Amino acid sequence: MIIEIGHYALVLALATALIVSVMPMIGARRGDMALMTLATTGSLTLFLLVTLSFGALTWAYAVSDFSVMNVWENSHSLMPMIYKYSGVWGNHEGSMMLWLLILTFFSALVAVFGRNLPETLKANVLAVQAWIATAFLFFILLTSNPFLRLNPAPAEGQDLNPVLQDLGLAIHPPLLYLGYVGFSVSFSFAVAALIDGRIDAAWARWVRPWTLAAWTCLTAGIAMGSYWAYYELGWGGWWFWDPVENASFMPWLAGTALLHSALVMEKREALKIWTVLLAIMTFSLSLLGTFLVRSGVLTSVHAFATDPTRGIFILCILALFIGGAFALFAWRAPMLKAGGIFAPISREGALVLNNLILTVATATVLTGTLYPLVLETLTGEKISVGAPFFNMTFGLLMLPLLVVVPFGPMLAWKRGDLLGAFQRLYAFAGLALLAGLAFYYAQHGGPVMAIFGLALGFWGMFGALADLWHRGGFGKAKFSVAVRRLAGLPRSAFGAAIGHFGLGVTVLGIVSATTFGTETVVEMKPGASVDAGGYSLTFDGMRDAVGPNYTESRGHFTVARGGVTVADVWSAKRLYTARRMPTTEAGILSFGASQLYVSLGDAMDGGGIVVRIWWKPFILCIWGGALVMMFGGFVSLSDRRLRVGAPSRRAKAARPRLEAAE
Amino acid sequence: MGPMVLWIILALLTAAVAASLLVPLARRSQAASGKRAGEVEVYRDQLKELQRDRAQGLIGAEEAEYARAEIGRRLIAAAAGDGGDPTSVQGPVRHRIATAIVTLLPPALGLCLYLGLGNPGLPDQPLEARLADPGSNLALLVAKAERHLAEDPNDGGGWDLLAPIYFRTSRFGDAEMAFRNAIRILGPNAARQSGLGETLVTLNDGIVTEEARASFEQAAKLDPDNPRPRFYLGLGLEQAGRAAEAKAVFEEIAGKSPPDAPWMPLLNEHIAKNGGETKPADAPSRAPGNPTSQDVAAAQDMSQGDRQTMIRGMVESLAARLKEDPDNLEGWLRLVRSYSVLGDKPKAQEALDQGLARFPAAGREGQQLVALATEMGLAVKGADREGVTQ
Repeated sequence: MIIEIGHYALVLALATALIVSVMPMIGARRGDMALMTLATTGSLTLFLLVTLSFGALTWAYAVSDFSVMNVWENSHSLMPMIYKYSGVWGNHEGSMMLWLLILTFFSALVAVFGRNLPETLKANVLAVQAWIATAFLFFILLTSNPFLRLNPAPAEGQDLNPVLQDLGLAIHPPLLYLGYVGFSVSFSFAVAALIDGRIDAAWARWVRPWTLAAWTCLTAGIAMGSYWAYYELGWGGWWFWDPVENASFMPWLAGTALLHSALVMEKREALKIWTVLLAIMTFSLSLLGTFLVRSGVLTSVHAFATDPTRGIFILCILALFIGGAFALFAWRAPMLKAGGIFAPISREGALVLNNLILTVATATVLTGTLYPLVLETLTGEKISVGAPFFNMTFGLLMLPLLVVVPFGPMLAWKRGDLLGAFQRLYAFAGLALLAGLAFYYAQHGGPVMAIFGLALGFWGMFGALADLWHRGGFGKAKFSVAVRRLAGLPRSAFGAAIGHFGLGVTVLGIVSATTFGTETVVEMKPGASVDAGGYSLTFDGMRDAVGPNYTESRGHFTVARGGVTVADVWSAKRLYTARRMPTTEAGILSFGASQLYVSLGDAMDGGGIVVRIWWKPFILCIWGGALVMMFGGFVSLSDRRLRVGAPSRRAKAARPRLEAAE
Repeated sequence: MGPMVLWIILALLTAAVAASLLVPLARRSQAASGKRAGEVEVYRDQLKELQRDRAQGLIGAEEAEYARAEIGRRLIAAAAGDGGDPTSVQGPVRHRIATAIVTLLPPALGLCLYLGLGNPGLPDQPLEARLADPGSNLALLVAKAERHLAEDPNDGGGWDLLAPIYFRTSRFGDAEMAFRNAIRILGPNAARQSGLGETLVTLNDGIVTEEARASFEQAAKLDPDNPRPRFYLGLGLEQAGRAAEAKAVFEEIAGKSPPDAPWMPLLNEHIAKNGGETKPADAPSRAPGNPTSQDVAAAQDMSQGDRQTMIRGMVESLAARLKEDPDNLEGWLRLVRSYSVLGDKPKAQEALDQGLARFPAAGREGQQLVALATEMGLAVKGADREGVTQ
């Protein structure tokens, strides 16, 4: 009965979404408060209904109710409990439910925290959110319904894809979706502003926290996904330029650009039209990413033979929202007033450069991702666009960006002083180069270019510190005064500095792991030793073990440095019994920020086994940097000013003065 | 709880949703005033921020002056737009149409869609509850035994019980494991060794491998009167090309068997094939399209091309028979499997679709088809089972 209630709640959610899609918009045109308020209550109701539905599905997974087809297909009664829960979104239908849940969650947040928004804007935003929810509800109910039943119910499920039976899956998709779907709010704001025909600096300030929140979650989600692929897939790589990864990376790049352009718009009311376009592009890429991962926008063309409705549905949703938004943009954007003027060398100019590079980078990744798919669909020819393409194009684009990052915050608004910024930064540039050299010598060897790469990483980190240093006025004012001034800086200034610092840390990790890392592939027999990264690994032998729903054979390695045993590690090959599917469980040892990565290959005749050992110096900096960036996002989000605009007691107190000024 | 309770809950849910949406409509409509108050606040804050930036030397004096003027202009514009909004509502607005839509849409759409999609009569079926009371559901009994064995893998009796069930339900991989476990824990007996041998033969497409042969040999030693392992030993000899020895084995079984034993026709064919004389016997009727192991064995003696032709012929005749008598689940299962083994994916798909048309995937029989389709890598209509990587 619980399942049927969940199913019915989903149907009711569709009815509610339809009402919220239409009524508030009419209310906004007519200035009818009642219809506009309907958006707030409707969005909250919608969220509760979807939560109820999602809860019912989760319950079915938790108790292994195999009368639900979706549970039977993707769960197994002997799976550990945590994977029963995470298995809810480990499949197409369930992940669409999670998407919808997060979408309605954001709508509810806007409904609750959007009290400071102008009523018409809020009503329009929530209505656009409801359009998206309606489309997804139709898609779920008609083509991907997770509540279809089996009668009689089978006795055992078909198990969750073993690769997904990992703690990473429990965290990664929700974070990623929080990011993807969070951008829907920016999108809705953009579309609402286009419909309203009015957009201003205040709009940018209201959009910024939502963009920032989505960006922060997406950063965390991508980093998590990258680390998950690194330890689960057993290839030792942390980024593969795989279409699925690119799908999440493109919204991140566009979202980063949006974050910065919204800043310009808020402060200077410039780049309005561009910001609106970016908001639309970012969410479009999120939608594309969702479907590219789930069903494959273009591979779904092949799936037409077996399930035409789903593929056509996906294409319709994409066409409707992306095409519709761009059409609306083309129609309404020329009516928006252009904003402030600025000199090329200024904070705005630096941010425009940032946007330019990030957008071109996004386009590069998009081309590299879609071109092979399009080509295969049209001609049947299979080509692979791999790391070399992306490293050449994307890597080259990033170099100037990384050089410019520390300058941005140093330049003044409107008209900046590049020479001044240089003067303030040259000491740090020298320091960064020195640190790069020092790092290089400490690691003994490596290509010369690595120095520049490392220096670039340190440059980003020191540049961020320099920003805070000068804002505080250290060196010019008395120390105590500088500290006080530093403490008085707005949180978003710290957020920016922390974010840029994190970027530097990530660059450092990437350069270090790719240039100083080593890879050793050897066949080892018990007792054999091999050296990697200054450590000596001894293979002690294999042992069989049994898990709840898998069997594994694991190898034990003792790690020694200078003859002294410092650690030991297990590395395993698993076989999941229900699906008869093997997986690799790499053994990973951390030494500081560096890691030793041991992965088992095939067993050879005569008792030997192929072992792959990677030494990855400072690789944890890659994800650590992302965590720092994420932290920067949170610090910035906590800025009091982002909540400004609430018609609070303060605002009412201020009203008389303003009227006197009129 | 009966379906009545469900309908009451659904009705209450619908009413709650409609009520929550009606609340804003029922309230007296106020004018949409003060719509730019928030905006004014933002600009005011920007002015403060500008002062702070100026104090820190982040913006030049001249630029700050310009910026202040700019923000001030926006502030005044926003403040001017405040209050005197022409779209403000004049008096209470009636929402008769809106109220009607909000009241009617949830129950109407809810019922229409749900009646089409839902299964209101189907109760929840948590596995624990079903396992506690499995009734005569074989699959559940198997699942129960499996759970027991997961906890106590050294219960040989459990494995012994499960092994032949696995074999009969075509879970040959599991059958092999269960037979091996039973033999390891309880020691060999004729039934277990013979069962293991048969499983191995099935897993190897009808070939009696060396390991299977050893297993049958042991079974024959333990129970010399059982014709089954001896038949397979003969088959192994036949497949090895040792016709005379094979014939001797088959003839020996025939001599010990009663003349009306159901395996006699099969034996006679093998004796004939290996160059012997047989007494004619009444051939008992077989299930439609059952290619017996004898047919398969015969096929193995032929050249590759002949064999394919023969198997094709058998499969085609099975397909023809199923067209006349489609209520034969065994037949559909066999047809799908045969086409898959022959590598004819389109035909296998076609057979699967036809079988599913007769036995829907939601039903017990249909599930066997679905399970087979999964095993054979065929797509089941309406159920996308692509591997999800996220």
